[in-house]
Amino acid sequence: MTELALYIHIPFCRCRCHYCSFVSTAGRMAEMPAYVCALIGEINLRRRTGALVKTIYFGGGTPSLLSASQVGEILAAVRANYAVAEGAEITLEANPGTIDKEYLQNLRQGGINRLSLGVQSLDGGELEFLGRQHGTAEALAAVCQARAAGFDNLSLDFIYGLPGRSIRKWRVMLREIIALGAEHLSLYALTVEEGTMLAELARCGAMALPDPDATAREYEVACRVLAQAGYQQYEISNWARQGYSSRHNMTYWTGGEYLGLGCGAHSFGGGVRYAATENLDAYLVALGAGCLSELTEEVLTPRLALSEAMMLGLRLNSGVAVDDIRTRFGIDLHECFKTEIKELVALGLLESDNRHLKLTLQGRLLGNEVFLRFMPP
Amino acid sequence: MDQKNIRNFCIIAHIDHGKSTLADRLIEMTGALRPEEMSEQVMDSMELERERGITIKAKAIRLNYRRADGEGFLLNLIDTPGHVDFSYEVSRTLAACEGAVLVVDATQGIQAQTLANVYLAMEHNLEIIPVLNKVDLPGAEIDRVMAEVKSVLGYGEEAVLKISAKTGFGVSGLLEAVVARIPEPKGAPERPLRALIFDSHYDRYRGVIAYLRVIDGTIRRGDRLRLMAAGTEMEVLEAGFFNPKECPVDELGTGEVGYVATGLKQVGDCPVGDTVTASARSAETALPGYRPAKPMVFAGIYPTQANDYQELREAMEKLKLNDASLTYEPENSPLMGHGFRCGFLGLLHMDIVYERLEREFGLSLVVTAPGVRYLITKTGGERITVINPSELPEPSEIAIMEEPWVKVSIISPAAFIGPIMELVRASGGNHRNTHFLGIAVGTEGAQRVQLDYDMPLRTILTTFYDQLKSRSRGYASLDYEFEGYRETRLVKIDVLVNDEMVDAFSRIVPPAEVQEVGRALVHKLKEVIPRQLFAVPIQAAVGGRIVARMDIAAKRKDVLAKCYGGDITRKRKLLEKQKEGKKKMKNIGRVEVPKEAFLSLLKTDF
Ligand SMILES: Nc1nc2c(ncn2[C@@H]2O[C@H](COP(=O)(O)OP(=O)(O)O)[C@@H](O)[C@H]2O)c(=O)[nH]1
Ligand code: SF4
Repeated sequence: MTELALYIHIPFCRCRCHYCSFVSTAGRMAEMPAYVCALIGEINLRRRTGALVKTIYFGGGTPSLLSASQVGEILAAVRANYAVAEGAEITLEANPGTIDKEYLQNLRQGGINRLSLGVQSLDGGELEFLGRQHGTAEALAAVCQARAAGFDNLSLDFIYGLPGRSIRKWRVMLREIIALGAEHLSLYALTVEEGTMLAELARCGAMALPDPDATAREYEVACRVLAQAGYQQYEISNWARQGYSSRHNMTYWTGGEYLGLGCGAHSFGGGVRYAATENLDAYLVALGAGCLSELTEEVLTPRLALSEAMMLGLRLNSGVAVDDIRTRFGIDLHECFKTEIKELVALGLLESDNRHLKLTLQGRLLGNEVFLRFMPP
Repeated sequence: MDQKNIRNFCIIAHIDHGKSTLADRLIEMTGALRPEEMSEQVMDSMELERERGITIKAKAIRLNYRRADGEGFLLNLIDTPGHVDFSYEVSRTLAACEGAVLVVDATQGIQAQTLANVYLAMEHNLEIIPVLNKVDLPGAEIDRVMAEVKSVLGYGEEAVLKISAKTGFGVSGLLEAVVARIPEPKGAPERPLRALIFDSHYDRYRGVIAYLRVIDGTIRRGDRLRLMAAGTEMEVLEAGFFNPKECPVDELGTGEVGYVATGLKQVGDCPVGDTVTASARSAETALPGYRPAKPMVFAGIYPTQANDYQELREAMEKLKLNDASLTYEPENSPLMGHGFRCGFLGLLHMDIVYERLEREFGLSLVVTAPGVRYLITKTGGERITVINPSELPEPSEIAIMEEPWVKVSIISPAAFIGPIMELVRASGGNHRNTHFLGIAVGTEGAQRVQLDYDMPLRTILTTFYDQLKSRSRGYASLDYEFEGYRETRLVKIDVLVNDEMVDAFSRIVPPAEVQEVGRALVHKLKEVIPRQLFAVPIQAAVGGRIVARMDIAAKRKDVLAKCYGGDITRKRKLLEKQKEGKKKMKNIGRVEVPKEAFLSLLKTDF
């Protein structure tokens, strides 16, 4: 039976974080009940048999703004329309400051078995700079409450490369992060995206842009320190204790099939990528009328699919298996990309043996330069 | 028409002083076009010229003028190019005229290029009618500018007309003056044909269209003609004039101005300044003053993408059809690949060619630093010319090196003399003359000065003009003409990017400036070359000796963080964009250099 990953997007936040370029709205939380209805409508419309759902992921936005019963309703709709595997990984993203122990207990009982907390930083000033709604105390409390509520698969998100952060401060913070004892960690470099508050601040000179050298240093330190603490890096931005890598996200990187539900959600299957409208109103109107919102479709040519396979596969520490590419695309990487591979190996960005291609530590920092070389000319 | 009723003249004016507006008024007032037919400024025909506010292609327009007493005249208004780069073209235009209307903006005063052209007109014995234009403006300083005209050109107030090309005020008086003051042509109708080519352009259907002034004899449709210098034979497929619409006629008589369609394939076959005569009955001597167009400034032009070379070649061929002064020869650079070493009349000409290649032909190009033609006598006695710095022999092989000098004349308000003198001195100029124009009347600082210098052409090729403008708050104007070759001692400074010499970046400079230029070059390159995947040393060297060095540190980070909610497409699109960007780069060895780097290096200030 086909394996399927389900992604459910919850595009609501209390406020917009300064760096945020995700599909989300601020201050429209009153419309959440309508959205849950619409979402359940979509789940019904996109009912699917013959596929086994191995993972479910509530992403956002801020999914923890949903009440536990809303989460429960959504999951019930999923189970009514899809076959959900025994022991499926069911993750919900939560923001500190939006949750308490009781809420988390209810989630846990409702079937959520993995919690991903958007901590981002353990420094009050930095959290403020990022425009987060929580402080350090709420972050620490959230971790404790999650444990108390019985979550034994906890993931924490952090941001590195903040302008002006000293490497010493980052080392100290990493020690604190490790002390929190989460099973899974995601570290993302701060990027200043167009249209965000940070971009605005940078434009008027109120903020320095992140320094790529300092960012690279923080990354290298993190790799070293986390490895010493027993975290295994399995993807450019992700670390986990043995057995705790995110099965849901692995689906994206390995070219597996996934179905995205909700406003702005993305799906992939049968060589086609779909994107739902990012406009919340359009989404609500369509489903209010009982139809699916419009999907943008992109049919991947084999060549594009290959470059995506490289771009995604190389993000993983396990790298790209030469045999796997041969079975999927009928080509020999070492033949087709002979000069590129040679160049990248010489530059110290890529490790290559007969069976695998993998990024080196340096390569993980310069991933784009590597991926580019596998793109169509 | 009888020569006694023909007047041939041109308008000499600085950019924006009102030449086009005046021409429009003249056309309108002589009824050549009804007002509703007037498109704005009909004489500037090329789009590019219009944008830059300059006129390159001279054209002639025939005006039918009826004097107050009822006598009819045929006035030929010939357009002159206004920029120093085209001074030879200007001189040929002047040679086709008996008179010139000198237009001076009454709010500004005389500018260097105008003056240069007036002197040229005087050398050609043209009758000059000075006019102060824009007298309708409240800012017009009639007394001051009048005094300037008197002091510089010797025309008293009674000889100077006051007009407004915009309102038409004084323009009928000007027409009267043209007829009264400018002499009629005095050619010999019965003698063998002699006509002067003062301009030409290429037409896809009829071949080269030559603009000419008939000095002696007559041109008839169907005549077989010969160019006395070029030796080209051709047939008059069509003859005519512009009014300003094209009007074919059966013949162009003695003293008249018009065009001839020749069927020739490129304007180079029909060089400006050459004399046209009849094949059957040839004139004995050609008209004086012919000089083949000679480029003064040289630069390499390369496509950023090696496989665009063929397209660049075709584009060059097409441009050449219409631009006799452009020269080009294939050039191979180990790093830049295949391109052309091109010769231009001057920097403006170079800019125009570069812009046309990019705009009209959609090419992405890299231009190397402009240079001059050096004459080298080798120690063995052999004499060579060098237009590409990379071909400069080793210092030990050079016995004598000569470089072109130019006579530079700068006109500026007296207030800026200090900074300008400093600039010229720093550029190696020798002072010849300082000349105060007019007497300062009215506002303080109105006093203007003409400064004459001899300078190496090399030193005015990079930023001299920009600096002159900035040091005089835009008020100074510049003109230069070739003076001659003088002995010099210069060295070549090379630039190594990642240990590879980039011939396109080489410069020829005086030994004393080696350090400074070297440092400026590496500094600029460090700024404009993005970080690569490895550290890149940038060095400047003379002979084998490194005179400056800077390192570009390796790029450390370039990776997209998050695949948010499975949005892979967006990620891939970003990569595609990045890949597209790389295509616009020029590879120097393994180093990717944006083409802006080449451009900014041209503008580097030394
Ligand atoms: N007020 C006023 N403006 C004028 C006069 N003659 C020209 N201009 C303006 O001066 C500018 C430059 O004129 P133009 O004929 O294009 O100058 P050219 O560059 O010498 O051909 C234009 O904006 C004209 O409208 C004039 O007599 N009076
Ligand atoms: S919580 Fe996440 S989605 Fe919401 S505004 Fe902040 S960064 Fe954006």
